[in-house]
Amino acid sequence: MTTTLATTEPRSNERPRWNGISLSKAIIFTLIILASVVAAFPLVWMVLTSLKTPQETMAVPPVWFPATPNLDAYRQVADVISVGRSFINSAIIAVFTTGAILVTSLMAGYAFAKYQFKGRNVLFSVLIATMFLPPIVTLIPLYRIVGYLGLNASLAGVIVPNLANAFGIFLMRQFIKGVPDELIDAARMDGASELKIVFQIVAPSVMPAIAALALFAFVYHWNSYLWPLTVLQGNTDQYPIVISLSRLLSYNRGAMNTGLVMAGATLAVLPPLILFVFLQRFFVDSIVATGVKG
Amino acid sequence: MQRQTIGSLAVMLGPAVAVIGVFIFVPMLLTIWLSFQNWSTQTGFETAQFIGLKNFFDIFSNTSIGRDFKGALVNTAIYTALSVIIILPLSVGLGLLVHQKHVKGGVFLRTVLFSTYMVPMIAVALVFSKLYSPTEGPLNQILGWFGIGPQTWLSSPNTALFSIVILNVWQQIGYFTVLVVAGLTQIPVSLYEAAEIDGARADQKFRTITLPLLANTMLFASVIAIINAVQVFEPVALITQGGPVNSTNVLTYHIRRVGIERAQGGLGSAMAVTLMLSLIVAIVALFAFFGRKGDRA
Repeated sequence: MTTTLATTEPRSNERPRWNGISLSKAIIFTLIILASVVAAFPLVWMVLTSLKTPQETMAVPPVWFPATPNLDAYRQVADVISVGRSFINSAIIAVFTTGAILVTSLMAGYAFAKYQFKGRNVLFSVLIATMFLPPIVTLIPLYRIVGYLGLNASLAGVIVPNLANAFGIFLMRQFIKGVPDELIDAARMDGASELKIVFQIVAPSVMPAIAALALFAFVYHWNSYLWPLTVLQGNTDQYPIVISLSRLLSYNRGAMNTGLVMAGATLAVLPPLILFVFLQRFFVDSIVATGVKG
Repeated sequence: MQRQTIGSLAVMLGPAVAVIGVFIFVPMLLTIWLSFQNWSTQTGFETAQFIGLKNFFDIFSNTSIGRDFKGALVNTAIYTALSVIIILPLSVGLGLLVHQKHVKGGVFLRTVLFSTYMVPMIAVALVFSKLYSPTEGPLNQILGWFGIGPQTWLSSPNTALFSIVILNVWQQIGYFTVLVVAGLTQIPVSLYEAAEIDGARADQKFRTITLPLLANTMLFASVIAIINAVQVFEPVALITQGGPVNSTNVLTYHIRRVGIERAQGGLGSAMAVTLMLSLIVAIVALFAFFGRKGDRA
């Protein structure tokens, strides 16, 4: 192979590319394409199916591309579930939870990063340990506690237990550690209160981390299913879109129209996916921060 | 330090500690306490009656309660083990593809992989239930092109659990790939250069440099993969309802069914405690395994 490389004229670059090192380049390229296609396929199929006629969605063997793409399935979704109401519920859950998590995480992260106090490391470890606790372990008593607070079957019941979390505190502490002490001391000299320091001095200097946390929290709570399903107890008015989707599925068992379910799924997927496409740098940076430094 | 009084410390930590305390710590302690009680989830905690270890004897007995629970425990263990066994090597392979600089397309692949991680599990479950459909689904059609016969996927007890593993891996692999890429960027390039001077082949470099230096990343990834795997709920709740023949009855689904839907709060709590103990054992074992490997490196 090396001899081929050596004897080829420099002018014709194309043929030697398939030899030696360039062969491995071709393999890498093929693998990248293959992995991308496999990863994207289910989502592409979801969108394609949402544009098919009911007959096309049930055809054997399956029809891949709709003959005349149409939005009928999307219109039908609106007949079965109140799409607007579900989206508003999802947005209320995701926005309120995210806002609260940002505030509580910034403050606690600041305290763990910049305050010296007895038991700091113990308290921090104990809080971080909750990150590794699967929600099902606490689900049964939590359901009862939220009932005691009178929050069952309401959006408040979905939101309140999630106003703070260990991941946010951890992420903020990691980044706030890097904020120079001089900056904070100078603000104290000027007579700034500690709260003012957190939100006006520290927060602006960890903006990428705040953006990452905001996106993670938003997507996580937009997508979450187990807790809202448990606490809302069949109160369909309060259902977020992900739970309304399960109603589409039970409706579909009678109607035999997969396009309907796929249209609903496409709608539910759009907000987190759009956020991600525009802001993926922040997601990736924060995983790097937690995975490596952690 | 002088201006950081107890007051400002309380203000900073108060909200987060209160929320996590009331909604995670207290419930966790209550779960442990309830596991020794006879208690209906539909009544207040004050109605609980201490019954010692009876719940634990029940969930490991040969009655239908015990058989269902042990089945769910085994299903969850298999599901978790398969998830980790597939996710770790796959994420290293994909991570290398994303990380390499010889061929363009790495960042594109990362974007595609990670975007699947943004998709709600419920949508993933719905889409895969159609992809898996034995007659109308494209997967059996695609297999047919390669001369492979139709698979039963979710409709047979032999293949249903594994089908959900695949669905789970598809949804989560982007996250683990990004973790691996983060680990790869931490490996000093000088190590590879030195190895090349010594005439090391690509596979030798991978085994002696890449893998040992990824041990910490792999440990973290395994822990996260295990924690995520025991949380599988949506595909089971929505598509299989634990079937066929209990083959996909996993713990999160089973505990919720017993503890919330059947309101057997004491029994459900005993199951949750067993899950928590199993997780601790699994994670300690992982640390021992990777700790040894890390030392050797």
